[in-house]
Amino acid sequence: MLALGEAQRQFFLGEALSSKSEKDLFSSLGEVLSSLRLAIALLIVLAVASIFGTVIPQNAAPEEYLRVYKLTTYKILHILGFLDMYRSWWFVFLLTLLCLNLITCSIGRFRLTLRLLSQSRQRLEDAEWKSLSPKKNLSLKGLPAEWLPSVRKALAHHFPSAKALDHSGTHHLFAEKGKLSRFGVYFVHLGVLVILGGALIGFFYGFRGNINIAEGETTNRAILRNGQQIPFPGFQMRLEKFTVAFYPNGAPKEFKSVVTILEGTQTVLNEPIRVNHPLTYKGLSFYQSSYGVAGVEKAVLLVKEKATGKEHLIDARVGARTELSGGNYSFILTRFHPDVQGMGPAFQIMSFEPNRPHENFMLFQKHPEMEDRRPGPYRFLIREIVPKYYSGLQVNKDPGVLLVWVGCALMIIGFYLTFFLSHRRLWIRLSGKGKETLLEIAGSSHRNRTGFEQEFEKMVHSLKEKLSGQPKDSKERERQS
Amino acid sequence: MISSKLVTIVTFLYLFCTVLYFNYLAFRSKKLGNLAVMATWISLLLHTAAILWRWVESYQMGFGHAPLSNMYESLVFFSWCIALIYLLVELRLKSRIIGVFAMPLSFLSIAYAALAPGVSDRIDPLIPALQSNWLHAHVITCFLSYASFAISFGISIMYLIKARKKEGVHPETGLADFFPSLESLDNLIYKTIAVGFPLLTIGIITGAAWANYAWGAYWSWDPKETWSLITWFVYAVFLHARLTREWRGKRTAILSLIGFGAVIFTYFGVNYVLSGLHSYAS
Repeated sequence: MLALGEAQRQFFLGEALSSKSEKDLFSSLGEVLSSLRLAIALLIVLAVASIFGTVIPQNAAPEEYLRVYKLTTYKILHILGFLDMYRSWWFVFLLTLLCLNLITCSIGRFRLTLRLLSQSRQRLEDAEWKSLSPKKNLSLKGLPAEWLPSVRKALAHHFPSAKALDHSGTHHLFAEKGKLSRFGVYFVHLGVLVILGGALIGFFYGFRGNINIAEGETTNRAILRNGQQIPFPGFQMRLEKFTVAFYPNGAPKEFKSVVTILEGTQTVLNEPIRVNHPLTYKGLSFYQSSYGVAGVEKAVLLVKEKATGKEHLIDARVGARTELSGGNYSFILTRFHPDVQGMGPAFQIMSFEPNRPHENFMLFQKHPEMEDRRPGPYRFLIREIVPKYYSGLQVNKDPGVLLVWVGCALMIIGFYLTFFLSHRRLWIRLSGKGKETLLEIAGSSHRNRTGFEQEFEKMVHSLKEKLSGQPKDSKERERQS
Repeated sequence: MISSKLVTIVTFLYLFCTVLYFNYLAFRSKKLGNLAVMATWISLLLHTAAILWRWVESYQMGFGHAPLSNMYESLVFFSWCIALIYLLVELRLKSRIIGVFAMPLSFLSIAYAALAPGVSDRIDPLIPALQSNWLHAHVITCFLSYASFAISFGISIMYLIKARKKEGVHPETGLADFFPSLESLDNLIYKTIAVGFPLLTIGIITGAAWANYAWGAYWSWDPKETWSLITWFVYAVFLHARLTREWRGKRTAILSLIGFGAVIFTYFGVNYVLSGLHSYAS
C-alpha cells in the first residue's frame, strides 16, 4: 500500500488524518463517531447485550417473570427494558450509533480508497520499486523499443490494457486489475444499512396479525396482538377446507388450508396455503400457523330399521333435516356435545313422525348400548364424527422485506469482492544496456500475497517463453496484423 | 441401518487418524504424516458414502430427504465439513500439523453423533416446517462456516502455544518448533475466518429467507438467531480489529477462540440450554 499505509492506519485508529491541530468539541466528536475503535466497541456491546436477550425470556407474561424473578428484580428489568430488549430505547440507540459509525467510517475510507486508486502511478521511483514484492528481472537481446510491442502483447493475456510511458529512454508499462475488490467493503456496509432500512420500513409500515377462520366461513380483517383490527384491502377470504395429514409414526406431514379470495361476490383466487408455502395477495401474506376444531361438520350415522333390519349409512349435518322411509320419519342433529358428564361426545337428536309429537334424545358415540332401550322405529349408531376445523393463519404486511433481500445481496456481492478478489498491480521497465534490454517486472497485491506470488511466478514464466528469441520487427508485426 | 454402521466405522477411523497425527507430531516422520493424510482422505471418502447411503435409506423408507435434518445428521455433517476443510487447507499449504488440531474436532463431532445416548440415529420424516429447499442451503452454508471456524480455532491454539513458547513460558516444549511460523499461523487464522464469515452470513440470510416463508418473519430474535448474530458480531470484531494492525497475533487468536465458543453455543447451547424455534433440531 506504499506510503498510504500509515495514513490508513491512522484513519482506522480514529486518529486525526487532517493537519488541523486545534480540535473543537464537534470535530473530536466526529472523529470518535467515525473511528474503527467505536465500531469494535459497539459490536462487542451489541454482542454482550444480545446474550442477555437470549437468557431473559422476551415479551413473556408478567406472571411468568414473577415465577422466576423477585418483584424488585422484575421491576428493574422492566424499567431497563430487558424484557423487550431488542426494541428498548438503548438497544435501538446502539444500533443507530452503529449505523452512524458505519456511514461516517465508510465515507471517510471511501475517499481514501479513491485517492489510493488515483495515485496508482505508471512510473515508480527507484525507492518505491525496491519496496515492491514480488520482482523479477529478464535479459533480452535487442533494443527496448523493439521489444515493447511484443512485451505488451504477451502481457495482455495476463493483465489487459497496460499503459505505456517513455521516460528518458526507459519504457514503463503499468497495468492493474481487480480494482473493484477495494470497494467490496462498501458493498457490505451499504448492505447492512439497507437491511436495517428495510427493517425500519417493516416496523413502521408493516404489521403482523392473525386470523382464525372455520371451514366455510369468511373473514375480511386481521387481528393484531394488541387487539387492533386491520381490514383487508378490498377483499375477503373464505376457508374452504382445512386438512392435516400424518406420517405412519404420528408426526405431522402436512397442514393445508384451501382458501378462496373474494372481491365482493367475485372469486378471484382459489389456492392452498401450506407451511413454507404462504399466499400473498395485495401486499398481505398469509401463513399457515395453527389449527383446531371449531365444531362438528357432520356425523356419519348407521341407521337400522328395527322392523326389517335394513341398514342405511347417512351423512348427517348439524341442523339439517334428514328424511327416512319416504318421508314418514325424519330427524335433525340439533346439537353436538363434545363431552356429556364424562360419557364422551354425543349428539342431541330431534325426530319427527306423522301424527305423533316429536321426540328428543341423546346419541352417544361411546355408548351404543343405550340405543337398545330407546323405543322408536330406528336404531342409531355413530360411525364417525367429522370435525369442522378452523385454521389459524398469520397475516403479514411487510413492505420492507424486498429491501432486506436487496441488502443481503449487496452484502454477498461485497464479500465476494472483498475476500475472493484482490487488487493487483504490475509495473514493467524496459531499459537499454548496450545491445541488450533489461526487462524488470514487479507487482503488488493488496490481499492474498502468496496467491499473487504464485500467479506472478507463472506469468513471468509464460512471458519468458513468449519473449524467447529475437524481437519481432515492428514492420513485420504490421504485416502480420 | 448400514449407514449408521458406516458412521461408527468412520468414527473409529477418525480416531485412528487423530492418533496418527499425534504420532506425527511426536516422531515428526514424514512417512507418518503422509500416512495420516492418506488415512484422512480415505475416511472422508467413506464418510461421504455414509452420508449418501443414509440419503438412499431415507428414500427406501418412503419419505426421502437429504440427511441434514436432525442433531445426529448435523453432527455427522459437521464432522464431514471439518475433515473436508482441513484437507483443503492441507492441500494448499502442505502443512500436516494442522491435522493435530483439526482431526480431534472432526472425531469428537462424529463420535458424539454415534455414541451419545441422547442423539438418535433414526431417520424421521420431515415435519412441515422443515419441508423446504432452504433447509439444504441453510444447513450446508452454516456447517461449512462452523467448520472453517473450527479449523481457525485449532490454528489459534497452535498460535497461542507457539507464542507462549516464544515468550519463554514453556521453553522446554519442543512441539511448537514444528509449527509453521507465527506470521503464517496468524495469516491462516485470518484466511479461515475470511472463508467462514461470508459463509456464516449466507447461512444467516438463507435462514432468514426460510423463516420468512415458514413463519412470515425473516428475523424474530429467537435464541438461535440471536446467537448466530452474536457469533457474527464476534467475527466482525475480529476482521475489523485486524485492520487496525494493533490487534494482531495473540489478541486476534483469542478472539478466534471466543468466536468458536459462540459457534459451539449457537450449535449446542441454544438447543440444550435455551429454547426457541429451532428446538426440533435437538
